[in-house]
Amino acid sequence: MKPLSDFQIVNHSVPRGDGIPKVTGGAIYTSDMVVEHMAWAKVLRSPFARARILSIDASAAKAQPGVIDILTGYDLKGLQPYYGHGVKDHPLIAIGQVRFVGEPVAAVIAENELAAQEALGKINVDYEELDPILDVDTAMAEGTPRIHETDFADGSFRGFDDFPGAAGNICQAVHVGWGDVDAAFAKAAHIAEGEFYFPMVYAYAMEPYVAIADFDAKGHLTVYTSGQHPFMVRHDVAHVFRLPLNSVRIIVPYIGGGYGSKSYTKIEPLVAACSWKSGRPVKLQLSVEEAFLTTRGDDARVRIRTAVDARGHLVARQATIHLNTGAYAENSPMVCRKAANRIVGPYRIPNIKIDCFAVYTNTVPASSYRGLGGAQVTFPGESQMDELAEMSGSDPVEFRLKNLAHSGESIHPGMRPIDADIPGDIREAAKMLRMDRPLAPGHGRSVCCSASDAGAHPVTLAMVQVYADGAVSVLSGSTEIGQGSHTVLTQIAAEEMGVPLEKVRLIGSDTAVTLFERSTGASRTTTLMGRAVLEACREAIAQIKVMAEEVFAVDADKLVEERGGLRHGGKFLTWANILEQYFKMEGCSIVGRAYLRKAGDLTLVPVFWEIGVVGVEIALDEETGKICLDSLVTIGDVGLAIHPAMTEGQDLGAATMGLGAGLFEELIYDGQQLMNGTMLEYRVPRFSDLAKNIDMKLVQNRDGVGPYGAKGGGEGAVNPISPCIANALYRATGARIRTLPLTPERVWKALQEKKGAAPR
Amino acid sequence: MNVSFELNGKQTTLEIEQRESLAEVLRGRCRLTGVKISCEAQVCGSCTVLVDDLPVSACTLLAYEVRGKRVTTIEGLADDSGRLHPLQQAFLDHFSFQCGYCTPGMILAAKALLDENSAATDAEIVAHMNGNLCRCTGYLPILKAIRQAANQLRGQK
Amino acid sequence: MTTLSRFEIHQPTCALEASQMLAHYGEEAGIYAGGTELLLAMKHSALNYRHLIDLKVVPGLNSIDMRNGSLEIGATSTHRSIERSPNVQQHQPALAEMESQVANVRVRATGTLGGNLCFAEPHSDPATLLLVLGGSVKIESAAGAREIPVSELIAGAYASNLQPGEILTKITVPSAKPTHRSAYMKFQIHERPTLGLGLWLDTPDEGRTFTSARVAVGCVCPFPTRGLNAEKLLTGSHADVEKRLSEAADAIADAADLLDDHEGSAEYKRHLIHVFLQRVFRKALGESLA
Ligand SMILES: Cc1cc2nc3c(=O)[nH]c(=O)nc-3n(C[C@H](O)[C@H](O)[C@H](O)COP(=O)(O)OP(=O)(O)OC[C@H]3O[C@@H](n4cnc5c(N)ncnc54)[C@H](O)[C@@H]3O)c2cc1C
Ligand code: FES
Ligand code: FES
Repeated sequence: MKPLSDFQIVNHSVPRGDGIPKVTGGAIYTSDMVVEHMAWAKVLRSPFARARILSIDASAAKAQPGVIDILTGYDLKGLQPYYGHGVKDHPLIAIGQVRFVGEPVAAVIAENELAAQEALGKINVDYEELDPILDVDTAMAEGTPRIHETDFADGSFRGFDDFPGAAGNICQAVHVGWGDVDAAFAKAAHIAEGEFYFPMVYAYAMEPYVAIADFDAKGHLTVYTSGQHPFMVRHDVAHVFRLPLNSVRIIVPYIGGGYGSKSYTKIEPLVAACSWKSGRPVKLQLSVEEAFLTTRGDDARVRIRTAVDARGHLVARQATIHLNTGAYAENSPMVCRKAANRIVGPYRIPNIKIDCFAVYTNTVPASSYRGLGGAQVTFPGESQMDELAEMSGSDPVEFRLKNLAHSGESIHPGMRPIDADIPGDIREAAKMLRMDRPLAPGHGRSVCCSASDAGAHPVTLAMVQVYADGAVSVLSGSTEIGQGSHTVLTQIAAEEMGVPLEKVRLIGSDTAVTLFERSTGASRTTTLMGRAVLEACREAIAQIKVMAEEVFAVDADKLVEERGGLRHGGKFLTWANILEQYFKMEGCSIVGRAYLRKAGDLTLVPVFWEIGVVGVEIALDEETGKICLDSLVTIGDVGLAIHPAMTEGQDLGAATMGLGAGLFEELIYDGQQLMNGTMLEYRVPRFSDLAKNIDMKLVQNRDGVGPYGAKGGGEGAVNPISPCIANALYRATGARIRTLPLTPERVWKALQEKKGAAPR
Repeated sequence: MNVSFELNGKQTTLEIEQRESLAEVLRGRCRLTGVKISCEAQVCGSCTVLVDDLPVSACTLLAYEVRGKRVTTIEGLADDSGRLHPLQQAFLDHFSFQCGYCTPGMILAAKALLDENSAATDAEIVAHMNGNLCRCTGYLPILKAIRQAANQLRGQK
Repeated sequence: MTTLSRFEIHQPTCALEASQMLAHYGEEAGIYAGGTELLLAMKHSALNYRHLIDLKVVPGLNSIDMRNGSLEIGATSTHRSIERSPNVQQHQPALAEMESQVANVRVRATGTLGGNLCFAEPHSDPATLLLVLGGSVKIESAAGAREIPVSELIAGAYASNLQPGEILTKITVPSAKPTHRSAYMKFQIHERPTLGLGLWLDTPDEGRTFTSARVAVGCVCPFPTRGLNAEKLLTGSHADVEKRLSEAADAIADAADLLDDHEGSAEYKRHLIHVFLQRVFRKALGESLA
């Protein structure tokens, strides 16, 4: 393996490719775009969580000045209006009934936003209200009506093997298990048991959902969207309009944040239908308040017990997980699968039984949220690790070290063995946090970890174009969502082709131009797309080597590859020189390509284990119950950091997001109504929440299947933060809280109970 | 109505509707799309622009209010030769953004602070910047950039 | 983007003309100051005005002066200008400090004190502090002018006692005397504070005894509320008052109509009043809070 010191561009924190546009205001996001003759859409939303639509009268709205057309569920003849990559249960606009407050019922298409907005109030919808089914227990109770009365076809792009639950209101059920848990619990020395709750959260990507759809005269559809999965959107949209794949072009400019919330299809089918109906290009820009009503994270109730033997070895874990999936499946079947897998943690546990259910309710549809089920289940899992350490009379760090899987060891039978040094990471985190220092009153420390089966389904195709003037273009279907993938991919191409970074251009996120990439998410881009770009470069080089035989007029085996080209004795030609001399024509270029699929060393799932290791020291105001972070440490076990500064940035960003759910983020329903769906009320981390001391470290053991041994990052740190805070709180006070977020009031109440004093 | 104001150093007169927010006018009529829109409620700061050097929320401020005033957007920060403002450079140096959606507002809010007080302490920076949200970075890289720019601006004085 | 519906902005030359405009357009018109609350409410159709009367163009309404031992603050003075005013910093430092912590820099740059008080948002910081500083407001209309204490301006959550056509033109705040001790503290988790607590004490002898006290709580109840019974408990010797702080906190909580809502239970809010009464007491006396 090439030593770290040999890298000239990779493993260096080079300037970001999107840097200048982003600091000068030149970066164009979908929300900034306008196209010729564009009309605007606004959406009328359901005021009821569950109701039949008896009629819609839009005639008065249609007659308003500036209004071009109205779209409702009555207008979809000829379309296949239900979409969804996992379960095709989602109508692009309500058809006959509504399933959550906020569901689109009608769209006004008008010459400008104001006309569209004002016409909304002129639409009359007649509803027959039905009893809403708002929580998981009601949804699963016998006799509760089904939220979806029909069984739905699978979406064909599930990328995982579970079949939809389709029983009552269970959208998906996943069962994971091995060994004999009952026998193990019967013999256990200690058992930790409890019920945990992870809240309903909102990702708050700062750019709300937006798309522009344009059906041209030939029936081709172009969609500009803030969605992070252009190829999955293409699949859904092509299905809805019965179009061949090459008639749907999805273009994704810069994206203003996603964190999972912009994965898969969101508003694109609706906007496309508006264009289809009105014959105009149409832009739909949601407000943040509407984004709150579009996607959220699954809240999770986890009943879990974990057992150790007398020597402090984990012997069994059993859990029942209920995810509140909301009105439509979206990506919750996958969240369900991942939550079931990830609750095992990075530990050797010989007996496992996990039952995980994604359950439909009449609430905002839940879907991917950073960590994909990981945050929901790491909270109970890692909380119990500390409980068990205490029962076993051992130090929590030592207790973890005793049970952690080592590199090469398998935690899930049949899955890829662990490809990281988690014990080493934990030791390092404990050292960075200086666990041995005495604690000030109200302070507590903890170190926690997680292991996530990451990378999603590996189908990743890439091209590089190598020009005779020394330029190189990378054509990648992955999206730049802020994670820096466009920079990383150009670094890899520059490193491989031996050209300066400035010569490499990234052409991205246009399904008409780039090859297929399943998705940008699950921390996969560096690992899979990075590797595809590397292999595409190598493939281009292989082609040029054949040409070089003619140019040098010697056999290939006499040519020595050096950085950027080939040498024969005293003569060195760059790849570009060779192309130029071969074609004897300026301006030409060749294409190198790579097609990754689930084969070879990518056969085993997961593509890699994404490790999250964090440590915190909290400072508690014992009078008010308010928790602040005194210290935060993160370890990024990423194999190799193509771009160290951005990799650390991902860790801090993910940790901060985890902090939000740990301390204050929670969507609150009062009956059928979301109570705090505005940024005035939904509290996300701010500048003042920054930990006083922050220390981040990258571990680079080059143990991943990605380029140069790299693995992904970006989701890991989100998972272990909340249990880490809860454990630190326990350390500080002896109060164990199993419900997030750890709001001041919740902490105060727990302290009151702990003191045994009746709360004042 | 007509409004005349100085926009990024240039005298400008525009025909606007009184109901239009400054963000609508800057983004729609002037195509200055560095003014980003998120919360629309003065919470997030992504729409921050400077009016007579003070940070305001363009999402809520009426364009009517800038009559006779100076408006600075992110597009007006680099100097005429295209040299970046020290804050812009510092944001690049410290990788102080990911998706970049909050970045124009962050830089302008920080500029308002440093123009007034280039010796701002960390606590003052945090207090001033607390109304600008970033969901990507975890803030530390932004704090580092502001410190660096403050140092540099102090050096220039 | 949520766009505002059409309206017309009018520019009165004096408060009287503004009042006449209000009377003329009736329900369709509202006073427009900083617009920070107004425009948000209009975006959500909570208010639907067709005519906005821009008070900021009225000359002299944004001045901040010391007159007859009191600060006179024009209604359109922004939070920022009050925070930065040397007059306020010198003569009522608790007010300047509180103003420096209202909302965020952008809201402070445009939001006005008059708008804050007239909107009567339950989380108003200034209203709570002004209750204990003895603030009063001047209200003008075609029918004449009247001056009332801040407590009489606020009628309830989002409701003021302004009559149709009335305009708040001036806020008067007695300046701090050497015997006065005052402080304001808030507990904040969300965008707006969860609790605000203002305390004013008069001590002839450097904090050994308190001859008079005023205390008010905000955010936890529909409108900022004085704890009149608590105020009695807060007079007397330092040692006695300190002993009665807990009792006083309960009296404040009893006076306020504590709400059970998603910001917290009434029980927790009562507890916070206990915690922060201790803290604000020490802060007012310049004692260390650590
Ligand atoms: C994001 C955000 C956070 C905030 N946080 C806080 C906080 O922490 N603490 C706090 O105290 N406040 C907070 N506020 C409220 C802020 O202080 C007020 O918005 C501001 O001071 C209101 O003043 P304005 O000039 O903008 O009023 P406007 O919005 O212009 O007017 C508000 C109302 O008062 C009426 N009005 C205004 N002036 C007069 C007058 N002189 N006479 C008669 N009627 C009048 C208007 O018709 C309108 O109904 C926050 C606001 C926002 C948007
Ligand atoms: S969009 Fe203006 S402050 Fe958020
Ligand atoms: S960089 Fe994405 S929100 Fe700040």
